[in-house]
Amino acid sequence: MKIEIDESRCKGCNLCTVGCPYKIFQAGKKPNRKGVLVPLLDRPERCTNCRLRHLYGRVLCGVCQMTCPDQAIRFRDEKPGETVKVAIEY
Amino acid sequence: MSYDEWLRQDRLPHIYCAGCGNGTIINCTLEAIDGMGWKKDETIFVSGIGCSSRAPGYIVTDSLHTTHGRALPFATGVKMARPGFHVVVFTGDGDLAAIGGNHFIHACRRNIDITVVCMNNQIYGMTGGQGSPTTPMGALSTTTPFGSAEPAFDLCELAIAAGANYVARWTSYHVKELTKAVKVGMETPGLSFIEAMVQCPTNYGRRNKFRQVLDQVEYFRSHSMMRLKYLQHEERGEPVPDATIVVGEFVNRKRPVMGLPK
Ligand SMILES: Cc1ncc(C[n+]2csc(CCOP(=O)(O)OP(=O)(O)O)c2C)c(N)n1
Ligand code: SF4
Ligand code: SF4
Ligand code: SF4
Ligand SMILES: [Mg+2]
Repeated sequence: MKIEIDESRCKGCNLCTVGCPYKIFQAGKKPNRKGVLVPLLDRPERCTNCRLRHLYGRVLCGVCQMTCPDQAIRFRDEKPGETVKVAIEY
Repeated sequence: MSYDEWLRQDRLPHIYCAGCGNGTIINCTLEAIDGMGWKKDETIFVSGIGCSSRAPGYIVTDSLHTTHGRALPFATGVKMARPGFHVVVFTGDGDLAAIGGNHFIHACRRNIDITVVCMNNQIYGMTGGQGSPTTPMGALSTTTPFGSAEPAFDLCELAIAAGANYVARWTSYHVKELTKAVKVGMETPGLSFIEAMVQCPTNYGRRNKFRQVLDQVEYFRSHSMMRLKYLQHEERGEPVPDATIVVGEFVNRKRPVMGLPK
């Protein structure tokens, strides 16, 4: 499972940059077509929900998705054959 | 997560300003509803007028976007006519406590079986930032340019005094807790009142030293105190810091209820 930010919805408020325990969302620097600074994802494979959702069969954490006032953050399953990056726990 | 299923995808993105807390509260409410397993054609959203009151327009179920302050009378009508329906009200601090203040206390007194979610941004957001009954003392708004000189309403205490069966307060920072509270409210027969403190960066934040959206959310985090802790402080006669936001469940009781299905 992986995180995606829907650029057609994100308004660049940066609320997602505070809630995540892994600080996966980093404030964006380059404006997109609409002039919005969409946050960048820093090693999103570390996300608890992306790693463990299927193992536990329920949403884990999910704080970024609940917080995003513009419903721009989504979790989606990889397509068949899509490479999956695995986080190494330290 | 499944709040997405309840949203009218063709209407998004919504009109709220960047970083407006209302969107977060919609997420939490819909998530709670999804957990209830309610059917979409048996759930009705009702609202008055204001930024907060635009919320039902983004939701797939039937809804009533009524006149300013009158969401609760309309919701009462729906519930009395169709007690089997689940009625959820989205309202703002101005809508609920200023023009709709009278309806608020009487809906609580009647303890009608609906869930009321108030997005309290402490300001009239939609009309450009006039002071509301919940604007804190000293806060700047277009109608209080030297700082509000009036004490603010505590909406939760008001709901308790008037008779609501379930009362809780959280903020847009506390998404998990808020979702839980809305769900418990929906499970509780009678009027459930959930106050969600939200940031209005455009009309409250920028006039009141919250230059970034994040600043006000951080303020909610750092100034919140659990209700139990607050009561302990009160019992021991210890002062609590000014501007503390008391959060948590305030009341969960079983007064007689109106509007239950027979
Ligand atoms: C009868 C009536 N009086 C006044 C207005 C103007 N008006 C529209 S929204 C609003 C205040 C909304 O404040 P609130 O309920 O706090 O909503 P917010 O926009 O802050 O979410 C007012 C006074 C109106 N639409 N109708
Ligand atoms: S919280 Fe949502 S709208 Fe705000 S910056 Fe993050 S993804 Fe964009
Ligand atoms: S679900 Fe939690 S851990 Fe994963 S990105 Fe969102 S906030 Fe971070
Ligand atoms: S004016 Fe305030 S309440 Fe209205 S959409 Fe903008 S930020 Fe939200
Ligand atoms: Mg308001």
